[in-house]
Amino acid sequence: MRGLLSKKSIFLFILLIAAFALPNFLKNKFYMNIVIMVIFYAALSGSWNILAGYAGQLSLGHSIFFGLGAYTSTLLLVKMGVSPWLGIIAALIMSMAVGALIGYPAFRLKGPFFTLATLAFSEVIRYIASFWKELTNGAMGINIPFKPGLATMMFRTKEPYYFIALGMLLLIILITFFIDRSKMGSYFIAIRENEDAAEVLGIPITRYKMYSMLISSGLAALTGVFYAQYILFIEPEAVFNINFSSQIALMSIIGGMGTIFGPIVGAVLLVPLNEIMRSAFSSLNGLNFFIYGIVLIIVVSWMPNGILPTITNQVKKRGLKVSTDRKGAGKIDTAN
Amino acid sequence: MLKCESMNLFYGEVQALWDVNLEVKEGEIVALLGANAAGKSTTINAISGLEKLSSGKILFEGTEIQKKDPHEIVEMGIVQVPEGRKLFSYMTIEENLELGAYSKRARANFKQNLETVFELFPILKERRKQLAGSMSGGQQQMCAVARGLMGNPKFLMIDELSLGLAPLVVKQLFEVLTQISKRGITILLVEQNVKQSLAIANSAFVLKNGRLALSGKASEVANDPTLHQAYLGK
Repeated sequence: MRGLLSKKSIFLFILLIAAFALPNFLKNKFYMNIVIMVIFYAALSGSWNILAGYAGQLSLGHSIFFGLGAYTSTLLLVKMGVSPWLGIIAALIMSMAVGALIGYPAFRLKGPFFTLATLAFSEVIRYIASFWKELTNGAMGINIPFKPGLATMMFRTKEPYYFIALGMLLLIILITFFIDRSKMGSYFIAIRENEDAAEVLGIPITRYKMYSMLISSGLAALTGVFYAQYILFIEPEAVFNINFSSQIALMSIIGGMGTIFGPIVGAVLLVPLNEIMRSAFSSLNGLNFFIYGIVLIIVVSWMPNGILPTITNQVKKRGLKVSTDRKGAGKIDTAN
Repeated sequence: MLKCESMNLFYGEVQALWDVNLEVKEGEIVALLGANAAGKSTTINAISGLEKLSSGKILFEGTEIQKKDPHEIVEMGIVQVPEGRKLFSYMTIEENLELGAYSKRARANFKQNLETVFELFPILKERRKQLAGSMSGGQQQMCAVARGLMGNPKFLMIDELSLGLAPLVVKQLFEVLTQISKRGITILLVEQNVKQSLAIANSAFVLKNGRLALSGKASEVANDPTLHQAYLGK
């Protein structure tokens, strides 16, 4: 069985130490910002991955949960002076409640209804945030007054943000890891692979879809709180944006949906690419989306399961030359 | 054990079942026959709770189940082996079998059921670490039946056991069915393979265009001209 000292776990351990040591070496603010954004996107896409990658419920409006998290903690901070650390709890409750509200009717229906519901809801919420000016300051957005301190989760340097983001990502990886290894994870995958089969085996599919939704929306809210405190400005167009939702999804899809580290691979590839494109071709607005499209087409054509699963399969093939009589194991769905 | 009373079921505007009555007695093997689109799968999906009746009743051991959710019905001991096997092909045999044992009644008897299943299908024990999708059609069907048995059913419904399988494999599977039946599990068998089903069944129901065309003892049904009409028309 998998030992604690397998090559993989040693590699991950070294990576973890490197991650903690990184701020000592990286002093350039521009690069530090990119690294923080990579971690932030990996975490956010990781939250999406639990719902869509594991349980197979394709959400194309994940910015709803992210944005609600950002708005909830920010409004509490700006209007009532509540510390964002406490705001996290309110943000979690808010996002999970809305997640349940979307999931409750949509999970009962089969087919693309859930995806459509997330798309529709994200538009509705964007409109609410844009037009409920008394509460949200409308399309102008909210500027968070800069008051540095641990209690306000605002810092003059990038390092504290880096460690908060890293902690958040580690939490999400850990939760994903436990889901991956638990019974719940196999029920999620069963639902993703074949909902009808899961249902006749007696798995209460609506309930498990709801579990994945609650976990996923809660974690997305967490990243939303972080984002608001890091950027110190939120507006409906930025946080409830459908393009943003599809970016969240794309990172996991490209990295490898339904794998623990897929979202990280996707974020490591796409976020720097996006930043470089944006600064290199700043006059050509929209080129970054063009490049996104090309990367997506390349990955989907040559690595339909995402980058990470393709690499692991290659490694396994090399390592295990003498496999039992498998017929193209895991590649083509021959059972159905 | 199971009693269906005047089941009517619609898919949108189309009526798929018309006043269908069925009765299955404990310990029996019952064949549910009929041509394509006669309503066989619809019937067992209604029993499983996947499709809801517009009127009629389904009684299992005296309890009405037509309004229950699929997982509640599985909990009562009714398990379906779906048409086309529907295995989780990226998972191993073992993982598939584990997923079959979701219900409380199944988890309580997990070890015992696993032993039984491996006794009935030794090949699955041998290949339990292999991905389900990499096995032959016959082995996949065995795995599907085994996964159903892991649910610790009192009443097992099998949809199209012989679909797409070689005659020799079908023969083996039918033999296993009689063994399963001997262990006290009641079986409802939905089949296109009329001859073989009637050979092992105690009684049979024949559906035609969503209506019950014929029912009775297996031997009587086998010789009834209505059976041929149900498949070939008049």
